[in-house]
Amino acid sequence: MSASIRRRLMLLVLASIGLVWAIALASSYRQATREVAEWEEARLAEVAQMLALLDQSNLATLANAHIDVREEERGGETSANDTDDDDSLPRDALFQVRTRNGDVIAGSPPLRALNAWDLPVPPVTGVQDVVLGGQTYHSFTLRDTPLGHTVRVFEQANTRSDLVSGVASRIARPALIALPVLALLVWWSIGWSLAPLRMLSDAIRSRDINRLEPVDIGHVPIEVRPLVDAINLLLSRLLHSLERERAFTADAAHELKTPLAAIKVQAQVALAEPDPARQRLAMERVVQGVDRSARLAEQLLLLARLDMQEKMATAPLAPGAVAKSTLLANAGNAQQKNIRVTLNCDMRAEINAEPVLIGILFDNLLDNAIKYGSDGGTIEIAVRREKQQVLAPLKEPLKEPLQEPAKEPLSERILVSVRDDGPGVAPADLERLTDRFFRATGNQATGSGLGLSIVARIAQHFGATVRFGTGLDGRGLAVDVSFPAYTAAAVRSLKPAG
Amino acid sequence: MRVLLVEDDDLIGCGIEAGLRQAGFTVDWARDGHKASLALDTTSYALVVLDLGLPRVSGMDLLRRLRDAGNDVPVLVLTARGTVVDRVGGLEAGADDYLGKPFDLTELIARCRALLRRAQGRSVELIRYRELTVNPASQTVEVAGKRVSLTSREWAILIQLLTNQGIPQSRSRLEESLYGWQEEIESNAIEVHVSNLRKKLGANLIRTVRNIGYVVEKQ
Repeated sequence: MSASIRRRLMLLVLASIGLVWAIALASSYRQATREVAEWEEARLAEVAQMLALLDQSNLATLANAHIDVREEERGGETSANDTDDDDSLPRDALFQVRTRNGDVIAGSPPLRALNAWDLPVPPVTGVQDVVLGGQTYHSFTLRDTPLGHTVRVFEQANTRSDLVSGVASRIARPALIALPVLALLVWWSIGWSLAPLRMLSDAIRSRDINRLEPVDIGHVPIEVRPLVDAINLLLSRLLHSLERERAFTADAAHELKTPLAAIKVQAQVALAEPDPARQRLAMERVVQGVDRSARLAEQLLLLARLDMQEKMATAPLAPGAVAKSTLLANAGNAQQKNIRVTLNCDMRAEINAEPVLIGILFDNLLDNAIKYGSDGGTIEIAVRREKQQVLAPLKEPLKEPLQEPAKEPLSERILVSVRDDGPGVAPADLERLTDRFFRATGNQATGSGLGLSIVARIAQHFGATVRFGTGLDGRGLAVDVSFPAYTAAAVRSLKPAG
Repeated sequence: MRVLLVEDDDLIGCGIEAGLRQAGFTVDWARDGHKASLALDTTSYALVVLDLGLPRVSGMDLLRRLRDAGNDVPVLVLTARGTVVDRVGGLEAGADDYLGKPFDLTELIARCRALLRRAQGRSVELIRYRELTVNPASQTVEVAGKRVSLTSREWAILIQLLTNQGIPQSRSRLEESLYGWQEEIESNAIEVHVSNLRKKLGANLIRTVRNIGYVVEKQ
């Protein structure tokens, strides 16, 4: 299974709880150890004090009896109510009493067996650990009692840790029961909290491919809301682009039918025509129709490619040079309509773009100007540099409030314009000129209505803007395309437009 | 038989025009809705072939205006938008038939003939009148089983008279059905064509109505 939020949360929560519990347990254990040690030291000291008060005969009697330190401490209470009887082993304390000179007055007999009878006496009152017969004993030495004795008491060390581990297990036991219960609760709560995510994924999974309306799973927690919103935004964008795509396909099919109808009609006329001259004319028109559909298909493909391609290799190029070669290619068409084309280009003006596409842009503009211009008219192609104030981006207006307007760079733009003195376009139609398949009313020339939408698309690709205006001598149409100029600084900041 | 063709596309328009001419129709071609409505106001047509996607006045508007004005000329609609919605819309706006692009020219002509036939109240293509058998589709005439060849003008006058039996047709009306916009009208031509028809098909077929024109009597 890949990364699961539930699993990760489980691990994190349980590990945190376990860690905190372990630390609490360890510190409790240490505390208990210390308290037990202190308590037992105090008890040994007490036994020693008691022994110091006894005379020789009493000591001798006591030496042969057991001293249960716990019994001493508890003052004869029975241990019956001590249910946690983890300390049931006999807890014999051994002792030895000596004179000031070091002679032994009395001592527990087992000390002889442990070779501790003649153990040197520590010089001061206090606690020492000694190893007797391979086992650690705590010993307490009381020097210079009122009777002039030195009293030493021994107790086996392990009897003390039994008590401590008893305390520890009492603390740990609830934790061991609680942890699995806690794990179950955590597992269930995480699952319950993640339910909206599951609902969301169910809602999306069960969707039909054509259903692109927003996801609605009812009450959504704020943590999941951004996800649902993001998905809905994506869906709406997808729907939008799909609708555009469908409209485009429908329009394209419709537009392709027209030249096909023309070809079919002309071909059938040719087949039925007995007069060879008229038959030939019809056949020529068939060829015209085929040319027209080929051009339309080419334009549609170009638009589709422009839509698909996000980034394109660009290079600095002079639009003036492209304009010149475009003019050469279209000179024949212009001559046919007796149109004079003037070229007014700043050859040093450079833009950062793709030469083939810029060629197509010029070709479409010039082709339109020739097609829709008047017979014997004039077309002007101009490329010039212009300074333009860069408008502050509107996205984050408050981010840099201290920026002075004077510091904003005057960016250089390259203005490419094609103007004619033909009948022009009605003001109402200007806005729709770049719409796909739109053809301005009242024109006789054949066209697909794609030329200017291709121009607009190419311009958009290279960060240029397209404006329409009045052409030469207050008549006709002017198409102005304003490109960002190619400079070293501009290249760094230039990003291909989506 | 004069037909108004309303089509904005040059190639399709001149193709249909040529096809209809070959089929023996007189064709006027209007390239936009405006010209078409002018033509419809001034001339009476036997049939209108109308493209719906027109500049200026859309084909659908033209059709509606035509029907609102009470003109019941048969209309065949052409369009590249061949969806059911478009077809139903066209038919409901008053079209008599519907053809999607790209269409077959022979089918277009056959449908035109069918519309005309229906308008004239005939159910079969052949027109029989006494010993005369006229086939508009093949543009042939037989008199008592014998083929007679006619010029296109003679043919047009004969059809005009035969499809309006009992209704005298004035000289200007006959001229209108004979000549398109671009054609010069020859003076006295109608008299010449009628006299030729009488020679070829029999003297008592066409009767002269004094001061009005000519008529083929109802049989």
